[in-house]
Amino acid sequence: MFYPALYASLLFAAAGFLFQIYRFNRTNKLWQKQKGFKFNFAPAFFNTLFQTKLFKASKTRWIIHSLVLSGFIYLLFFHALADLISVKIFAYYQPTVDPFQFLRNVTGFMVAMGCFGFLLKKFFNVRSTRNIRGKYQNLFSILLIFSLIFSGFMLEAVKIISEPLFMEMVEDYAGVDEDSGLDDLKIYWEKNYSVVFQNSLISSYQSLEEALEEGKILNEEYCLDCHSNISSAFVSKALAGYLKKTAQFLNSSRADNLLYHIHYLLSFLMLICLPFSRLFHILLIPFANLKPKSDIQDFQKQKMGFHPVTLDACTGCMLCSQVCSVYPNFVVTQNIEVLPHAKIRSTRKMMLGRHLDLKELSSLQLSNKECTTCNNCTNICPSGIDLQALWITLSKTLDNMDLKTTPAHGNIPFKKEYDIIPGSESFDNCVQCTICTNVCPVIEYSSKSENDMTPQQIMNLLRLGKKQMAAQTQMVQNCLTCYSCQESCPGEIKVTDIIIELRQAVTEC
Amino acid sequence: MKLAYFPGCKIDFYLKDYGISFKSIMKKLSVELVELPFNCCGYPARNTDYEVCMFSSLRNLALARKYKLDIITPCMCCYGQLQYASLQWKQLGRQIENSAKKQTSELKQKFNDLLAQENLFWDGKTEIKHLLTFLYNDIGILNLKKKIKNRLPEKKVVTQYGCHALRPFTVTGFDNPHAPQIFEELINITGLKSVEWSKNTECCGNPILENSKTLSLKILNSKLDAAIKAKADYICTACTHCQMQYNELSFQKECKKHNITPTLFTQILDNAL
Repeated sequence: MFYPALYASLLFAAAGFLFQIYRFNRTNKLWQKQKGFKFNFAPAFFNTLFQTKLFKASKTRWIIHSLVLSGFIYLLFFHALADLISVKIFAYYQPTVDPFQFLRNVTGFMVAMGCFGFLLKKFFNVRSTRNIRGKYQNLFSILLIFSLIFSGFMLEAVKIISEPLFMEMVEDYAGVDEDSGLDDLKIYWEKNYSVVFQNSLISSYQSLEEALEEGKILNEEYCLDCHSNISSAFVSKALAGYLKKTAQFLNSSRADNLLYHIHYLLSFLMLICLPFSRLFHILLIPFANLKPKSDIQDFQKQKMGFHPVTLDACTGCMLCSQVCSVYPNFVVTQNIEVLPHAKIRSTRKMMLGRHLDLKELSSLQLSNKECTTCNNCTNICPSGIDLQALWITLSKTLDNMDLKTTPAHGNIPFKKEYDIIPGSESFDNCVQCTICTNVCPVIEYSSKSENDMTPQQIMNLLRLGKKQMAAQTQMVQNCLTCYSCQESCPGEIKVTDIIIELRQAVTEC
Repeated sequence: MKLAYFPGCKIDFYLKDYGISFKSIMKKLSVELVELPFNCCGYPARNTDYEVCMFSSLRNLALARKYKLDIITPCMCCYGQLQYASLQWKQLGRQIENSAKKQTSELKQKFNDLLAQENLFWDGKTEIKHLLTFLYNDIGILNLKKKIKNRLPEKKVVTQYGCHALRPFTVTGFDNPHAPQIFEELINITGLKSVEWSKNTECCGNPILENSKTLSLKILNSKLDAAIKAKADYICTACTHCQMQYNELSFQKECKKHNITPTLFTQILDNAL
């Protein structure tokens, strides 16, 4: 029953892994991949195991993460895979012998504390950033790890107090029976190992001191080789203390068997869920870090590429949005799509082939255009995702889709009427002297098809009240905002500022 | 001297050399640079949304004010935008006093509220310095001349001022917008020889590189012709966006044919100091 289940879930996890890679790469025609086989081994190793980037970014997060990671690594290799590893390395290995018993409790406690820290951090994060949509993200993975650890502790606690288990062990390993001092051993174990017997002997026994002495000798003879004192299993011992009241019921119903099954079923569940939940980042962070980040040479040669699957290395920590250069944009407009963590979510949807409608796509395109590609998010990302490459390839991909977010000709409603620039209506001063046109570099270098009007004509249109028509000209789109016209204007008309205001008026259509 | 270093968004990825050489000069001039968590200056948002562009600038200015520091930036566009925003802010304030327009007073209130969310407040007292004005005015050109240790060979250099620092003069107050001088003078003290050309105050074409690439490159290539005419060896820039534009691969190839090198002012000065 155990091994078939293990193999089945291993098979399932491997199939899931391949499926996920297939899913992400299905749309890879859109995403130019990085070429070449360069690998950065050192950063990949250090960032995966010691989370060096996270340490730089946030100390509390690093502590929480390291608690879970280090604890889990120990438990995986020396507890779950004990038959393969611990037994071969340590000749005297027994799960109930110190230091293994103690270390298992310490590491289990570390993981549990880490999970608790994650939940706390999440709670405060959701509250402070009002990130409602991310409220239940990662919750499944955290709770899965936590319940796995908790079931382990419960199992150990129930085993500690179990009478049937004690009797089985005595039968198998200790040559004692009623006549040769079984009661003495029972008393010793009841007192020192917290076993709960149906008929407690301690209260009814007359010569307690003597029995304990006898029990100690028997214990040294038969048990001590495999059973250290349970005080080193400090978590389970404490739990066993709480369970004492219900011990009779637990012992008679053999709760230890049930918990044993729960414990390993949970481990199998975790194995199965590995490729389908946030736990996937465990496998993808090394991969994402292995790839060298694209640099300016790649950009100039237009060889920026992004591996779609590395997007699942994202843990949703939102550090990228905290350092994002366009964060003030979000503060003013409350448009969360401009922040990297929201864009990652939308992009992931898009890559997985869930079709976003035109509105979502164009909103993604517009938001991505706000990005200044300042590299801050790439520098801070603890998972080592090459976000800079993502934004640049994403913008190319969306441009190729031809979403027509740029204003078309027709009646465009103006977003807002500002008139903040003092005297923006002052084109009344224009005497059509064409100085602005003569100094304009756009007019000087553009061919007829590239540009339609001159700055002076724009002023004239405005004077005639044709604001709509003026805003849609190529001149307004081509303007370099070099302020040559404004500086040279004898009528002191703010030509460039007016053109910028016209641009602002149409951009959100 | 202690200043808040405002690198701008592009340096970290597109122009690492600029940041490195800038810091190196400042170290040699014993200026302490403080790196604050600045965001985008707001210049890219100027074409799309007035409020976003204003608030981005104001947040930076208020952040520097919180540490009682002035801002120094090597980017002309950042410099122009920050100057523009601080002037606009003062005008918003003035209009409240006259209570001529209700809308603007509401806007100022909105910005103040948004700043207060992050425990920031701006009273308009942050000074913005560009690398060139800082060297020319604050360090002093005579003072700087004394610090030049190895004079560079007498090669011919043409200069590229950035538009957004130069114009409009009423906003930026950088130098004479029609016949600027400070860049040439700063070049001359290193031993290099600045020569005149027709393009020193003209735009490099970077702002429309994305939207109309051919036009942008046409403007860029006209620079090369003018530089050849002036028999220049170097085209020198002091703005992130200008240098990014000159680093365009096709342009670099053309430049190599004519032995002209677009170069950063900070790298020149770093070699001379």
